[in-house]
Amino acid sequence: MLAFLARRVLVAIPTVVLISMLVFGLQHLLPGDPILVMAGEERDPEVIALLREKYRMDDPIPVQYLAWIGNALTGDLGTSLRTQQPVLELIGEKLPVTLQLALMALVVAVCIGIPAGVISAYRKGTWVDWLANLVALSGLSVPNFWLGIMLILLVSVRLGWLPASGYAPFSDDPLRSIQVMAMPAVVLGTGLAATLMRHTRSAMLGVLRADYVRTARAKGLSERRVVIRHALRNALVPVVTVTTILFGELLAGAVLTEQIFTIPGFGKLVVDAVFNRDYAVVQGIVLCTGVAFVAMNILSDALYRVLNPRMGEVA
Amino acid sequence: MSALLEVRDLSIAIAGAERPLVDHVSFDVAAGETLCIVGESGCGKSLTALALMGLLSDPPLRRIGGTARFRDRDLFTMPPRELRGLRGGEMAMIFQEPMTSLNPALTVGDQIAEAVRTHRACSPAEARDRALEMLRRVRIPAPEKRLEEHPHALSGGMRQRAMIAMALANDPALLIADEPTTALDVTVQAQVLDLMVSLQRESGAGMILITHDLGVVAGLADRVAVMYAGRVVETGPVAAIFDDPQHPYTLGLIRSIPALSGERRRLVTVPGTVPTPATMPEGCRFAPRCPFAGTDCRAAPPLAEIAPGHRVACHRAPIEEKAA
Ligand SMILES: Nc1ncnc2c1ncn2[C@@H]1O[C@H](COP(=O)(O)OP(=O)(O)OP(=O)(O)O)[C@@H](O)[C@H]1O
Ligand code: SF4
Ligand SMILES: [Mg+2]
Repeated sequence: MLAFLARRVLVAIPTVVLISMLVFGLQHLLPGDPILVMAGEERDPEVIALLREKYRMDDPIPVQYLAWIGNALTGDLGTSLRTQQPVLELIGEKLPVTLQLALMALVVAVCIGIPAGVISAYRKGTWVDWLANLVALSGLSVPNFWLGIMLILLVSVRLGWLPASGYAPFSDDPLRSIQVMAMPAVVLGTGLAATLMRHTRSAMLGVLRADYVRTARAKGLSERRVVIRHALRNALVPVVTVTTILFGELLAGAVLTEQIFTIPGFGKLVVDAVFNRDYAVVQGIVLCTGVAFVAMNILSDALYRVLNPRMGEVA
Repeated sequence: MSALLEVRDLSIAIAGAERPLVDHVSFDVAAGETLCIVGESGCGKSLTALALMGLLSDPPLRRIGGTARFRDRDLFTMPPRELRGLRGGEMAMIFQEPMTSLNPALTVGDQIAEAVRTHRACSPAEARDRALEMLRRVRIPAPEKRLEEHPHALSGGMRQRAMIAMALANDPALLIADEPTTALDVTVQAQVLDLMVSLQRESGAGMILITHDLGVVAGLADRVAVMYAGRVVETGPVAAIFDDPQHPYTLGLIRSIPALSGERRRLVTVPGTVPTPATMPEGCRFAPRCPFAGTDCRAAPPLAEIAPGHRVACHRAPIEEKAA
């Protein structure tokens, strides 16, 4: 397992380098000059010159890149051109918010998607299966922003059950934090729930026909135990793998959902940084996201190995 | 001799199909007795066994008629809960496919212990001890180590031994073994079979042994049921079947064993092939391959008793009397 992880990390290094180059290069192709933004209304040429030197804007791009990546390796992603805060600090501030949203959405998706998939596979061809598939299809085709607005209108405005906005950090007020995040999590989780349901269903359909499921029944186990301990346990192997990969998508979705519910997370950070041409922040964010994606992929492969003892031997 | 299991007119069909795959099959198994079911591939042996365990994949397979009394309880009408109580307890089955019949995600020990705990009130530690004892009894080398291993670490022969351990863990009164060695390497077939039979005899369990191998039948059976195209065509004590076979199909099977050579052969030497469902004849299903077929064979022959316990479904039986 360690050897496997080491190999995967080594292979991932060129990918990460490539991502960093792309991020850096593309950013510099964007029109607009951040120094002008920073220099404010007056555009005093002296101030501009000073700023350009401070941010080494006049060095050739490869030199700038090397300086940036060198610092990045020591954990220094630069400082925001706008707020002068270290980029890493900004990310550290906003990421937990988005992560909380994504994790809550994942809980929603798992709690709905997996049981629904199991039941519809077990009751294949009955109205239950049919209904679950119909709901899943609608879940996949309804856009998040629409669902979000409808939920706000219904749950917050009409019924007044949950606040529509007013984010509170989890560490300050966990209950309020969860209440505020509940609707966004549901909105974000439904799409993933539908995907999970379909993956679970197809994995279960295969597994329920397996000889070892027949053996489990031949032992006299209850159907519940046959389905959960013997069938689902095996069906989950591909489902977990898919879920870790989809978690990346979930984070991307979270960035959008935050906008609907005005949650001050990663999404707001990205949008603000892009509009203000805050190079350092945008680069830092995209680099972190890229690394996170690569890490999720390695994690998903590792999980697959842990869950699937047959693979363990080959490694 | 009171019957442990009494099967009458068991019929199984695929939903929507006209002709049943298993058609009015009847046989008995007495306590401690071994009944061998023989017949060509596809004649319905596995379906019959699975139906008795209540394990037909449903749909598409359906039991469309018949009764099965096990220790004076009807297997087919008892509530599912009661049937589950029997399965793996008083009545256990060993399957044809050792490579895929164990759960790849659970250790061998867990799977055997689970069977024990399902039928006995005992602690996890006691169930584990019982699993270890069973692995010893099926003579798996290094049983303590195997207990913790997943099935992928075991060879086919070892997996089938583990299945045998699981099936016998609760001292069943009836063991159904569906070609337990067909899928194994020839070099271990005899070993595994001998082991299974010696454990079955020790425990005094009745057994239904499904096999292709007439050598095995001659060596192990008390009684035999010969199946052809979903029907029992002849059944009786092993001596009667081998010394006085009455059905032309049985006759063909027995002639196909090389005399005295001791070599075991598969049932492939009766000339012709089994008709497909579309070409299945109306009356006697063996007619297209039968050297004795006549116009009367367009009517299905009943399974008639020609000697105590010896039943044959053929218009020509008993052969000697007709010939005389
Ligand atoms: N799930 C199923 N769906 C459709 N047909 C089936 C199914 N299972 C079995 N059959 C058919 O039923 C017939 C009897 O099958 P069965 O498995 O009982 O044969 P068998 O006597 O055990 O043969 P073998 O010696 O090859 O194991 C076969 O013709 C087979 O094609
Ligand atoms: S009934 Fe007729 S066709 Fe069938 S086995 Fe007997 S003789 Fe042959
Ligand atoms: Mg079979």
